[in-house]
Amino acid sequence: MLTAEIKNLTKTFGSLAAIDNLSLGIEKGKITGLIGADGSGKTTLIRLITGLLLPDSGSVSTLGLDPFTRRDELSLKIGYMPQKFGLYEDLTVIENLRLYADLKGVPYDFDKVLSMTNLEPFQDRLAGALSGGMKQKLGLGCSLLDTPEFLVLDEPSVGVDPISRRDLMKMVRELITPDTSVLWSTAYLDEAESFDMAVILDKGKVIYNGRPDGLAADKKEFESRVIELMGGYKREESLIAKNYQPIEVIEECTVLAEKLEKKYGNFYAVKNNSFCINRGEIFGLLGPNGAGKSTSFKMMCGLAKPTGGTAKIMGIDILENPGKARSNLGYMAQKFSLYGSLTLRQNLEFFASAYGIKFVDRKKRVDEIIDIFGFKEIEDQKSEDLPLGFKQRLSLACALIHNPPILFLDEPTSGVDIIARKEFWNHITALAKRGVTILVTTHFMDEAEYCDRISLFYKGEAIAVGTPDELKKKADTDNMEDAFINLIMGAGVDTK
Amino acid sequence: MKILKALIKKEFLQIIRDPSSIIIAFILPLISILIYMYGINLDTVKVTVGIKNDDPSVEVQTLVKSFGHSKYVRSKVYDNESSLSEDIVRSKLKGGVIIPNDFSSKLSRKQTGDLLIITDGSEVNTANYVQNYASQIANKWLFTSKHAPYASKTIINLQMRVWYNQDLNSHYFILPGSIAITMTLIGILLTALVVAREWERGTMESLLTTRVRKIDIVLSKYIPYFTLGMLSMMFNVFMCIVVFQIPFRGNLLVLFGVSGLFLFTSLGIGLLISSVLKNQFLASQVSLGIAFLPALLLSGLMFPINSMPIFFQHLTRILPPRYYITFIESEFMAGTIWEIVLLNSVFLTVLGVILFGLVYKKTDMRLTK
Repeated sequence: MLTAEIKNLTKTFGSLAAIDNLSLGIEKGKITGLIGADGSGKTTLIRLITGLLLPDSGSVSTLGLDPFTRRDELSLKIGYMPQKFGLYEDLTVIENLRLYADLKGVPYDFDKVLSMTNLEPFQDRLAGALSGGMKQKLGLGCSLLDTPEFLVLDEPSVGVDPISRRDLMKMVRELITPDTSVLWSTAYLDEAESFDMAVILDKGKVIYNGRPDGLAADKKEFESRVIELMGGYKREESLIAKNYQPIEVIEECTVLAEKLEKKYGNFYAVKNNSFCINRGEIFGLLGPNGAGKSTSFKMMCGLAKPTGGTAKIMGIDILENPGKARSNLGYMAQKFSLYGSLTLRQNLEFFASAYGIKFVDRKKRVDEIIDIFGFKEIEDQKSEDLPLGFKQRLSLACALIHNPPILFLDEPTSGVDIIARKEFWNHITALAKRGVTILVTTHFMDEAEYCDRISLFYKGEAIAVGTPDELKKKADTDNMEDAFINLIMGAGVDTK
Repeated sequence: MKILKALIKKEFLQIIRDPSSIIIAFILPLISILIYMYGINLDTVKVTVGIKNDDPSVEVQTLVKSFGHSKYVRSKVYDNESSLSEDIVRSKLKGGVIIPNDFSSKLSRKQTGDLLIITDGSEVNTANYVQNYASQIANKWLFTSKHAPYASKTIINLQMRVWYNQDLNSHYFILPGSIAITMTLIGILLTALVVAREWERGTMESLLTTRVRKIDIVLSKYIPYFTLGMLSMMFNVFMCIVVFQIPFRGNLLVLFGVSGLFLFTSLGIGLLISSVLKNQFLASQVSLGIAFLPALLLSGLMFPINSMPIFFQHLTRILPPRYYITFIESEFMAGTIWEIVLLNSVFLTVLGVILFGLVYKKTDMRLTK
């Protein structure tokens, strides 16, 4: 029995075929993971299945209905959660739930959803003020209100910490019936490996459709098999790191946080945060959404003023001399924060001037960066039109344009596919070997393994600091994800 | 029906949470009323005029004095001509009157006496005022002087009666006109953002996968903003009539009825822009450029339509404010004239229905990319 049957489906945008003559069946009563690189057509396929987009040719039958002509009937049976947070940020949690209950024609009975999402105490909080993980839980809760026959989730776990991610998975498994079908697109391969079925897309075509264990026996092997199917990843020497000009450093701590504190009213966003990062070290800040990682980050680079303590970059106090301290930094923000309407080259030129590279040297430096990063063919494209992986590389290029001795990376790989992530970390680890000091936040636990040391953040405080192995040992487990969850949960119990 | 109710409730909650919609609906009109009330004045204004008198005769002194007594002119007497012209250059004076030394002697000889009036042509309106005031004052003086018998006699006695606005007080029509501007602003600017906002934030994508119908989406935008607009309209009318004592000779029911029709068309323009562009920044620019400014300049509020070039006269026919401003000015000053009410209502209804149809047609129920 098939929940969705797709035959010879094609959808093009301009000259680009997002879905290319694709045929696929999605089985009833199963959780199907949808995997693929950025731009492989995952979101487009989901939108075609739900009838949000019209195809160029081919047919789709979802729950026995044609989504293009009978969407009214289909919408009664389908629960959909888009990639972007689709709820109203200026409405409270309960108002959003009531709205969707009315739209779906179900009574106001939210006890189950509220307790599953742990949102009970936050019912009257504006949805926009929730942390990333809570927003996603609320979105999932809304799409599950009428216990749909077919649940379609477009990357619900992007930018979500491991604990919230586990909660999302639990919610889905507990709130669906054995007959419910789920289509779950994800960038987390460990997530996909745990599903009943896996569909791998590449350039708008299905390259694998079957049980995850039909592909590999365990998580690690699954990952390497998927990477192989997606075209493979070969570790090469990082040109970016090779072309980096190391800078003499005398300070022992290139990045130093001294009792950093940020207080909003009676609430501590960050409390007594101290650490010292040595030259060439990769230091990871890990923690659940809303634990104070981003606030720490902003204070470290002088974007937010601490209410206590200070930070020193290459020995320069960020509060006393922010301009000079920052000139030693390359900063890559959480969201794509370059100028979308400028071309790739114009963005680089802008950042070169913003970081104070002299006019005479600017063109040479930009040419050099374009060469090293392999941007030659796309340098005149508008940066908003670039695929996500390229946007992220461009952000890194902008952060490195002034050859800084320190890099700050705030969730640099959020939403990026596995191969692009591997490439990215290849550059980062190579840069660290060349002496670049790196401060990074991430929600990918496999990336945490690349860190030399990790500071685990919870409710504004560092609850554990150490190498990945030390943390795993402390939590008495052999993988980073469990270490994260155990240590945070342990701390959570203590503070209650 | 339940879906529509839920969507409308959502929209109201958003309006209440969003300070900018409250500002546009109530604070902005207040500011605009204050500006129209105290800032803009199309009435006669007092101008400063310099006087240089070379005629030592006593009777000419009375002419100089009568310049000082006029309620439209502030006069300043100069001893030499160059400092007078210097003050005109510096814009300290709007004009000058120069009385030559043979002025009274020429009049006494029953000849024509010369009087030089200098005006500042860089401000044409003011220049006209100076010219008119000066010649009026001179004529008045002439008829009360001993030379009166020699002045040419006027044989027609003009009697002036101004209907509807006896005091020729420009506030009496500008303030009601400002209501039209405010309602255009609410109708177009606020709604231009609301559909685009849903597309930009991704909330539309979620909404579209539920049971909502096209008509639900369209009505859930029309109804809340119609209510907000009418509340703002009441606030405006209250300010005009009660606070600023603008005389109202019409019928409040008729006023609100036609205003409702006008708001209906404005909402249509705003929602159409928003539904087509799906981008808040673009929508706000476009609504200012192609909807709001023409409403201000081509509606007949500031510049009479029949003095516009023919092309623009025809263009005004598709602009809702044209019909509304004609209506509201006459409703306030002349009272309910059914011919005007009906004619303008018909045009507003036709435009409003066409726009509603276009909004419905342009409301996408699918994504395009």
